[in-house]
Amino acid sequence: MPEKSGFEAIPIGFEVGPLELTLDEETVRERAELIQWEEEKLISEFGLVPPGATVVHHAHMKFDALPDLKASIWAKSEHEFIKPMKVGSTITIRGRVVDKYTRRGRNYVVTEYETVDESGEVLLRSVETGLYVE
Amino acid sequence: MEQKENSIGPGDEIPILNKTAYMPIDPQGRNAIHTDDYAKDFGMRGALIGGSTLLSYVLEMLYRYFGQDWFGHGKIKVSFIGGGAINGDKLTAHGLITAVEPGGEETRMTLDVWLEKQDQAKILVGQASCVC
Repeated sequence: MPEKSGFEAIPIGFEVGPLELTLDEETVRERAELIQWEEEKLISEFGLVPPGATVVHHAHMKFDALPDLKASIWAKSEHEFIKPMKVGSTITIRGRVVDKYTRRGRNYVVTEYETVDESGEVLLRSVETGLYVE
Repeated sequence: MEQKENSIGPGDEIPILNKTAYMPIDPQGRNAIHTDDYAKDFGMRGALIGGSTLLSYVLEMLYRYFGQDWFGHGKIKVSFIGGGAINGDKLTAHGLITAVEPGGEETRMTLDVWLEKQDQAKILVGQASCVC
């Protein structure tokens, strides 16, 4: 981040993350329980991660990267599912601020995220617009 | 798990999914909107359930309908409206088919999706599509 702080200082293109995450069964089941995922066979029989289960990390990455951010509320989000995430695999999520704007006196930050597997294949693409409150 | 029906088409609703909204409240959490005091000061009813959790309820409904096709061909775009959800809200995910476009061996189905509270107020609205 540049010396200036806060919303005004966030440069377009600012990198959020990357975050490397191993989707071991315990981690996956913990998240599945939190979102009340009921399709148990997806994990136990097919060895796959519930869709969107890693999206929660996007917010964590944003808060880690933007220290002046106190609160954020999703305004919009968009997700393209390209390949399934496998239980036991390691993924990397890379994020980038692609836009920011002020509307009706409120500040918004638009961030893109791309999730890839160990071989670099893209699994999930997301674009999220969040209210930015310092 | 619900399966796709061949006869289903525009104007039909896919099976709904009900959830009681829940997210543990962590007073030390990074996002203050997930704490009661801050959220109430912000004009909300209480600590807001995270958007990713609300999205996951809709995604589970879509997975139940599309199965593993969703992982390779699923797209969703949503807006969060109406003040969100707090712990204990009774939520229902809906999907209404708006288009079925055959293309060779595959068909893309497009739906309006939404998540509503017990008072039928919508808190998430958007579109989803999947090749199946």
